[in-house]
Amino acid sequence: MSDDDLQTDGGTASALPGESHGDDAHLPPKSSVKRWLVTTNHKDVGILYTVTAMFFVLFGGVLALLIRAQMLSPRAPGTGPLSAMAYNQAVSLHGLIMVFWFLSPLAFGFANYIVPLQIGAEDLAFPRLNALSYWLYLTSGLLVFTSFFQGASFAGGWTMYAPLNIPAFMPSIGATTTVLALLMFTVSVTVGGVNFITTIHRMRAPGLTMRSLPLFTWSILLTVWMMLFAFAALLAALMILLSDRLLGTTYFAATTAGGSVLWTHLFWFFGHPEVYIVFFPALGAMAEIFQTFSGRRIVGRKWFIVSMVLVALQSFIVWMHHMFLTAINLQVKTLFMATTIGISLPFDLMVFALIYTLIKGRIRWDTPMLFAFGSLVLFIVGGITGVFLGAVVLDYEFRGTYWVVAHFHYVMVSGVTALIGGLYYWFPKMTGKMYDEFLGKITFAVYFTGFNLLYFPMFLAWGTPRRVFAYRPEYLVWHQVASVGGLILGISFLMVIYNLTKSLLSGEEAAGNPWPYSTTAEWAVSSPPPMENFPGTPSYTSGVLEFLGDDESSESSSGTAAADGGTATDGGMVVHEGDHEEEVHIDHASYWPLVIAVFSFIAAVGLSGLQLGSYPEGLGGTFYMATSLIGSLGVIGAVSGMGYESFTAHEGGAGEAWPFEGVENTKLGIWVFLASDVVLFGAFIGAAIFIRVDYGWMQWQPVPHTAIPGLVNTYLLLTSSFSVILALVAAQKGSRNGVLAGLVTTFFLGIGFLVNKAIEWIELFHEGVWLSTNVRASTYFLTTGLHMGHVVAGLLITAYLIWRAWGGAYTDGNDEPLEYFGLYWHFVDIVWLFLFPLFYII
Amino acid sequence: MILDAIAASILQSGIVPEGTRVQVFQEIYWVFLGLGTLVGAVVIGYMLYNGYKYRYQGGEDKDEDRPKLGEIPTGGGKGKKLFTSLTLSAIIVISLIAWTYGTLLYVEAAPEQPDAGVDVHVEGYQFGWDFTYLNNAGNSTGVETTGTLRVPVDTRVNIEVTSRDVSHNFGIPGLKVKTDALPGYTTKTWFEASQTGNYTANCYELCGQGHSYMEATVVAMEQDEYEDWYASQQNQTSTQNSSTVAAGGA
Repeated sequence: MSDDDLQTDGGTASALPGESHGDDAHLPPKSSVKRWLVTTNHKDVGILYTVTAMFFVLFGGVLALLIRAQMLSPRAPGTGPLSAMAYNQAVSLHGLIMVFWFLSPLAFGFANYIVPLQIGAEDLAFPRLNALSYWLYLTSGLLVFTSFFQGASFAGGWTMYAPLNIPAFMPSIGATTTVLALLMFTVSVTVGGVNFITTIHRMRAPGLTMRSLPLFTWSILLTVWMMLFAFAALLAALMILLSDRLLGTTYFAATTAGGSVLWTHLFWFFGHPEVYIVFFPALGAMAEIFQTFSGRRIVGRKWFIVSMVLVALQSFIVWMHHMFLTAINLQVKTLFMATTIGISLPFDLMVFALIYTLIKGRIRWDTPMLFAFGSLVLFIVGGITGVFLGAVVLDYEFRGTYWVVAHFHYVMVSGVTALIGGLYYWFPKMTGKMYDEFLGKITFAVYFTGFNLLYFPMFLAWGTPRRVFAYRPEYLVWHQVASVGGLILGISFLMVIYNLTKSLLSGEEAAGNPWPYSTTAEWAVSSPPPMENFPGTPSYTSGVLEFLGDDESSESSSGTAAADGGTATDGGMVVHEGDHEEEVHIDHASYWPLVIAVFSFIAAVGLSGLQLGSYPEGLGGTFYMATSLIGSLGVIGAVSGMGYESFTAHEGGAGEAWPFEGVENTKLGIWVFLASDVVLFGAFIGAAIFIRVDYGWMQWQPVPHTAIPGLVNTYLLLTSSFSVILALVAAQKGSRNGVLAGLVTTFFLGIGFLVNKAIEWIELFHEGVWLSTNVRASTYFLTTGLHMGHVVAGLLITAYLIWRAWGGAYTDGNDEPLEYFGLYWHFVDIVWLFLFPLFYII
Repeated sequence: MILDAIAASILQSGIVPEGTRVQVFQEIYWVFLGLGTLVGAVVIGYMLYNGYKYRYQGGEDKDEDRPKLGEIPTGGGKGKKLFTSLTLSAIIVISLIAWTYGTLLYVEAAPEQPDAGVDVHVEGYQFGWDFTYLNNAGNSTGVETTGTLRVPVDTRVNIEVTSRDVSHNFGIPGLKVKTDALPGYTTKTWFEASQTGNYTANCYELCGQGHSYMEATVVAMEQDEYEDWYASQQNQTSTQNSSTVAAGGA
């Protein structure tokens, strides 16, 4: 059977006869701006992410070209196209924009579009939250852009080390804005993580076990699990930094015990998993492309998955290899040297797996394969040079030099290379048009040449210190070659954008499956897919992908064989005709995500003006204050609006849902969110303990004079948890009064907590003890303040629940909101049980 | 105890590089570079070879079991070959690192003669370096310089490094020594110059606008020239002290 016979039969899953494209009727057409502002469909959001990411690569790329222009020759003081301050901003924002605003969003553009298709879901678990993730991403990027106009943007490296990052050394408002932007981005990522974890676990088609998941979906699943925990640590670091900048706490001051190293620990605990978060989707894309274009199944697929899981877990125990030159002791250095080498081993396995997949293949060297293959070559170079850095004695010399810069660009940008391959690979699916193949091949040649001309000389000139533009004359020629290479690489990106834009407008129509040997479900539907993705309910229970009609799908999920009626056995998919009426109306649009993001942007702009506890004088200060107020109120209002809006999304659990069978989507989402909140508080508590150990544990006096108010608060909170449980029990019994009694009790107990705390804090304030007094006060007020913020949020939700319960909600069998709120409230109480002894007693 | 004994015997066996930091670094660096280039060339060459050999050339497909759309994924087999390759690369990588671990122990070991050698306290600031010479008790001898560090050749120089403002990093590339300069912390390391001459020290941690120009000069001198210079510095200090005492003022 030759390749020409290898056509999928039912490959184009267009609408069945008699069914109109009614799904799209609820949304404005794709040509209208409004469509893109209100859509919550995963395919639209995926396109938004991908296109926006390409804008940010240009932004970060321009900054890179500015860096390379400055590096064309060693610069004497006052010479060169950039001033020292401008150069420091350029290197810092280049890193921040590329890592945060380009790489992961590009990957998540694909994840959004492709993962639901691959697992047989019709959308993500929480479509409005998905749109919210995107709009927060976009507005946080606009905030970065804004920061350049507020004095100066952040100029302390993408690593933002302390104490350079505090106002004493970096006073510009733009620096604060950059940190706020990153915080907003972190919120976007956390929301997205909750969404993808819930979706991939609970919304898979029947028969699609975890082991059968496509490798790209596996890579995204592990990425979002890592994101959930790593970004919580970053969130803590950013909140503490913002507290130092906005409120005047002294966590990171040069004189604070442990201040400089505390930041390093918090940042790198996040930072190391982050590099795998950035790389994993590229790895997943590589696996898909290698398999599809060589026509051979991935060798050792099971071990590939095991390796990815191992890397995801190990990524959290290597971070101190970024700190080998700090004052950590030899035993700790040895431990992290060992764990760092340990994490290279699963990568070795995955590299070999990909290479062996080529053997006995029928490799088509189309553009996606060129980029994926090229990416693996570059990754191998980067990986080998990383082993150098894991040898501590070598790292002693490579630290802070261009060896590190060259190494991480080889590994990170090899990830970009694979994602560009993914872009060409999935472009036909996402747009319905085929890109220009010949131009694609030329682009790869230019790209690969530019890449190596830019980054390889950095190894040869590795003695150049990082973030420095005055270097030894013997490195001159290498830096000149690198600058030329940078230009060529930049041109290749423009070629990519040109090719895809031109093809979008006037390219050939693409088939549902333009790639022989592709296997995953996205290729079994039309290009682009219809709104509800599939012509039936996807199912793998028969051993291959099938699309079942309504009557058949209910049978298959109960375990019996799918109804017959013409099942073809040639290995293609089967499309059953049958009734496919929508019984439940599914929503696809909401404007609240956009509104929340816009008000968040406004609030962040306003907050950036706050410095060390006060706004500046005059008109500027008034502007910032007013903006903060409007933004904050707007966010609260918009979140309430979104909560009140009626929105029906697809539910999960009909297919595979391991290990969360029986845990409904929203409940799972809340558990996952709470898991990240645990890490957030863990980081805050860890920070307080770290500082206290460095300060001298026994010399540290608790800030509150007496533990009595804390004890009272403990009783108030515990009782309020109990009253929430009573409210839930009353709801299950259908007693409206019982529900109201329970909720109102909770509300007033919570108010009691706040009043008690206010009294305590006012007394301290009158004694002159406030946030900025000393680091004991800083840790006390900020950590218990974070908890108090959680209490306030909980009380706002309680008020909302009371209002709805008054109207009769929750006693009609629909008591889940009470249960979910209970989970959150119990979590808040449990956190207090840790904070009380830590800050009042020991 | 057992680990100490193993470490001691490894260090004495001669496998582990010893000498100045420059000698130690060069040896390890070239071994890594050689092996790394070899491994990279072999692996990438193998990739390119297979990529060429198994390129699509049309015609009949002898292997009918190609991936099919809609199939449930199965592994592609060949697990044994995978684990052989993994084991081989693991052996290479782990033994390389174990070898460098021996050197790490050597570099981090306490000096054989703690009182011999020169002790200097290095303090970084935005944007320069201050040097204070210390006696064996760790106290300042009164000899202080800024921007230039003079040391004798063939003598172990122990430095303890800190910062008085933001985080910096003190590194002398010509002498292959480097350590962080962190406010509130002191990091310790050592170096030994085997040739006289001037060496540049740079800052390797972004510290503000003057980062690119935050340099110091390390001057390695003959032993007797160094002692002459040091003595003159001490005389100046004591002269200053006695003149201030004579003037009766602070």
